[in-house]
Amino acid sequence: MILYLLRRMFLLAFVFIALSIFAFSLGYLFPGEPLQNFTGLRHISAEQLPLLQQEYRMEQGYIAQYLAYLGRIFSGNWALSFSSQQPLLQEMQMLMPATLELASYALLISFFIGIPIGIIAAIKPEGTLSKLISAVAVAGYSIPVFWWALLLIMLFSLALGWLPTAGRIGVLYEINHVTGFMLPDILLSGTAHRQEAMLNALRHLLLPTIVLATFPTTVMIRFTRDAMLDVWEQSYIKTARAKGLNRGQVLYRHALRNALLPVIRQIGLQFSTLITLAMITEVIFSWPGIGRWLIDSIYQRNYPAIQAGLLVISTLVITVNMLTEILHTVFNPLARKR
Amino acid sequence: MAKFRLLPDEQLARSPVRQLWREFSRHHSAVAGLLLFIIFFLLALMSPLISPHDPYLQNDTLLLLPPSWSEQGLVQYPFGTDDLGRDLFSRLLVGARYTFGIAIITVLGALIMGLLLGTLAGMSKGVKSSIFNHVLDLALTIPSLLLAIIIVAILGPGLQNTTWAIMLALLPQFVHGIRNAIAEQLNQDYVVAYRLDGANNWQVFSRIIMPNIWERLTLMATMALSTATLDIAALGFLGLGAQAPSAEWGAIIGDSLDLIYIAPVSVAVPGLLIFMAVLSVNLVGDGLRNAAKKRREN
Amino acid sequence: MKPNHGHMSLYGFNRCTMSLLVCSISLLSGCKPPLPDTVRSGLVYCSEGSPETFNPQLVTSGTTIDAISQQLYDRLLEIDADTGELVPALAKSWQVSADGKTYLFTLRDDVQFHQTEYFSPSRPLQAEDVVFTFNRIMQRNHPFHRQGGGNYPFFQSVDWADLVDSVTADTPHQVRFKLSRPDSSFLSNIATDFAAILSAEYGALLVKSGQLSRMDSHPIGTGPFRFKEYQKDVLIRYYRHRNYWREPAKPEQLVFDIVPNNARRMAKLFTHECDVVAFPRVAELGLISKRPDVDVQESTSMNIGFWAFNTVKPPFDQVKVRQALAHAINRDAILQAVYFGHATAADSVLPPTSWAYNPNLAVQQYDPVKAKALLTEAGYPDGFSMDIWAMPVQRLYNPNALKMAELMQADLAQIGVRASIVSYEWNSFRRKLGSYEHDSVLIGWSADNADPDNFFRPLLSCSAALTGSNRANWCDETFDNLISQALLTADQKQRRSYYMAAQQYLAEQMPLLSIAHSQRFQAISSDIKGVRINPYGGIALANAVKDVK
Repeated sequence: MILYLLRRMFLLAFVFIALSIFAFSLGYLFPGEPLQNFTGLRHISAEQLPLLQQEYRMEQGYIAQYLAYLGRIFSGNWALSFSSQQPLLQEMQMLMPATLELASYALLISFFIGIPIGIIAAIKPEGTLSKLISAVAVAGYSIPVFWWALLLIMLFSLALGWLPTAGRIGVLYEINHVTGFMLPDILLSGTAHRQEAMLNALRHLLLPTIVLATFPTTVMIRFTRDAMLDVWEQSYIKTARAKGLNRGQVLYRHALRNALLPVIRQIGLQFSTLITLAMITEVIFSWPGIGRWLIDSIYQRNYPAIQAGLLVISTLVITVNMLTEILHTVFNPLARKR
Repeated sequence: MAKFRLLPDEQLARSPVRQLWREFSRHHSAVAGLLLFIIFFLLALMSPLISPHDPYLQNDTLLLLPPSWSEQGLVQYPFGTDDLGRDLFSRLLVGARYTFGIAIITVLGALIMGLLLGTLAGMSKGVKSSIFNHVLDLALTIPSLLLAIIIVAILGPGLQNTTWAIMLALLPQFVHGIRNAIAEQLNQDYVVAYRLDGANNWQVFSRIIMPNIWERLTLMATMALSTATLDIAALGFLGLGAQAPSAEWGAIIGDSLDLIYIAPVSVAVPGLLIFMAVLSVNLVGDGLRNAAKKRREN
Repeated sequence: MKPNHGHMSLYGFNRCTMSLLVCSISLLSGCKPPLPDTVRSGLVYCSEGSPETFNPQLVTSGTTIDAISQQLYDRLLEIDADTGELVPALAKSWQVSADGKTYLFTLRDDVQFHQTEYFSPSRPLQAEDVVFTFNRIMQRNHPFHRQGGGNYPFFQSVDWADLVDSVTADTPHQVRFKLSRPDSSFLSNIATDFAAILSAEYGALLVKSGQLSRMDSHPIGTGPFRFKEYQKDVLIRYYRHRNYWREPAKPEQLVFDIVPNNARRMAKLFTHECDVVAFPRVAELGLISKRPDVDVQESTSMNIGFWAFNTVKPPFDQVKVRQALAHAINRDAILQAVYFGHATAADSVLPPTSWAYNPNLAVQQYDPVKAKALLTEAGYPDGFSMDIWAMPVQRLYNPNALKMAELMQADLAQIGVRASIVSYEWNSFRRKLGSYEHDSVLIGWSADNADPDNFFRPLLSCSAALTGSNRANWCDETFDNLISQALLTADQKQRRSYYMAAQQYLAEQMPLLSIAHSQRFQAISSDIKGVRINPYGGIALANAVKDVK
């Protein structure tokens, strides 16, 4: 087990190095002066130039430059954003929680709705209910997320006027940034309108969460159903049934446990999909998260921001993936042998 | 008695394709999906020939014409015109070519590259292959759209760059799938037997491996096609893919966002088309998967 | 823990669905709640872009001015919105010397600066503050002169440094401006939104702590609202200034919700996330007026949307080429498609409502044949390739530059000119324009005061070409002479004749093609009262009241 963990850690380190080399090389791949891309300074004066060149080791080889880059990453001395001229690390720290909050609620929904429905669909695979679920699932699987978001906005916000269209909370509520997660922040804030603010924030959350949860939920439904059906074919289930247990008992005691094990693995896979879909969702709902920020950076040709954003998002995605894989292995000794 | 014997024989005697089709055609949803798929495919091929108007012609006298079912609409313009007086119907027809057609091209491109790399990887062994596998696993964990956004961020927006980006983004899953399929085949006894007969690598590949993995390839391709269509549309919508005045469906939605109150049709219909196109691909994919499973069970 | 895994999630599911159901019911029923306290006391203005700075001296962009000028600051004088005349503000009276070269302003003595988390004023407004404010613009050794790049585009375009010799405090309540020559537009310029009065005491504090840049990012003024927070591209939050010298502002809180996308701004109006919406799209005015819960306000506005050629770059340095391009454009189609008929075709940069307007100018005709002929004469029988830069934001004078560019692209193709459309994010766009990287650009101008000079010098003078705000990069001696002459006299008849000649000359030289003068619109929730559109510059929101039912 320890050996396994060590191997994973080693792989993670290897991945991070690969990613950072890639991010570093972007400084050269993007148009413009590499020094500007690395510092994020839009105008470098003649006095600054030699100092910066020395600090960034621009006159030495690529390897020295890369090591300097790595050093800056770890010491938190990141580049500035072209557009705001603010340090990128701080900027991202402000935005990241918004994305994580949205993604985690969507992930929770996809599990708590997707898994039970998937199980229901597997109980009678040829039944009407099961067919209906499959139909809805394949539709949810095929729908373009931005169009779905627009449809919901058109219906619930514009036509019915029930729900807000943008942002995390009404702009008149001033909630201090403590954890960056809106709901805990509201609870922590001393504002007199806490309950009001909570309700307001929930109303803002509703549509984006539904939109973001749609795709992973349908994936979960399909995944759980298939896993259940597979398990159903296994010989130990047949044995259990032969012993005279009824359907419910078999499902409960044997099938479920084995079918749900791979679901842990899904957390990681779903998470990476969620982060991508969150970018689009954030753009549509003006959600002040990292995805919208990254897309805006692409529009603004804000190269330092793209560079840093890619590094952070891919590292995050891969780390979460690796963690769930480890978790999966902990629960499932069989997987360790691979 | 003879009747009972004949049936399995007859089934066995059929070619795998026909067996597959038999299972496939039993599912109405799959057949409907296939029909829809063919329609979209033909549309992508022939849309310039059948579109009633020039999709890029700006008609100053017919701005924001409502769809023909409303009172002010004209029969010649079934979905009305956009804010520059271009016929929406023609634009949507031509859009099939961009969104769906280019998706097919990207998938074919990725498939060919994937076949090449996957075969090399699948047939090689040792440390090289192990490193290659790790890199591949990594690339696989990053979703294709994110990968495509990264590539577009480097190459700059545009339809051509989007095509390359999505092709590259799809590549890891093809390589991975093909490599595994080939590795699986190489372990089979009949391959060993064939090799003992004196067959070289190429013969093994073309006579044994290909016939055994094409089913998987098709499945992979359908899954990739639905991803590619969604990704092209999403990038177009975000303004990172096809640029104005291109009639790519996602880009049309993005452009029409401003008109969401005046001409909701121009947001609703292109989205519906993307949805239908992806749905058709997914239905075919699901049908194929089920049919393949059933065929093997028999 | 393993044996119970499946059991747990089933159980958890049920509990969760229950609570979700309860949640959603309460959410939906909360669709028409009684107005909560925060909403009662606050006003949300949905604006179309982020401000570049919080100091109006440093910009000319309308977005920035709308967001900061009238809210945070006051000026010595103001322009009456109805009559266009100058009225007292921070200065309760003023005198002009007989030679027109000395102005003496007497200040009010009851004006308090903002009290915020980062600054507590120890004294009311004094002459020292006015001197500090204007010296920042004029004196190179002023500690704040170089902050924000050292550019004061509006003041540079009216040649401020050359015009004003000195600003001095006679007494704590009297300020003397000495000019090098008489200038009939001086008082109008003092009353523009750019001439906001800053705090000298705050400046001294910042010099002491070495945080000079905070002057323009954490503003202190005398206006009806004080600064609370700013998140770029998200929002600006202001609170009421309790010791305001006029009647305190009605809203406790004022939030500028930054929503660059038009459709989204409109959606926020309909869902009442915004109380007031800047620049509703003219295409949707009909739709808005059908709704009982929102109103449209309309006013004539002094503005011009135009297509400027970079007159230094060939082939745009040739008058014939510029005329040819002008004749190639179908302006009527543009007025219909882009302005939806809510604008008048512009023959001059000056709107017809100005007293100096020249009604005798030849109307620009849409004539591709003539355009083609002119192009051939100029030596381009086969046309050429060019860029049209289209601004990415919606402005009053051009509600949709990209669409306009697409229309013009099709028009130009007819005379063999291959145009490609270029657009960047707004701030980079302006920066690149300022360094004249463009071939031609679709942009415009909204007046800050009623003086005709405000249309000529900031837009087309040589000094504006130097500062980068002259979009045509056009420096012409004849024209500069005409508009300078017009300033030396206070006689309106004489000034008019100079401006008439200047307009005639512009029509011949065509450094830019005037396209339209647009109406200004504002959409507003019906329960809000007391918001008015000012025809000269920024919007004032201090008197907005929410009608609580």
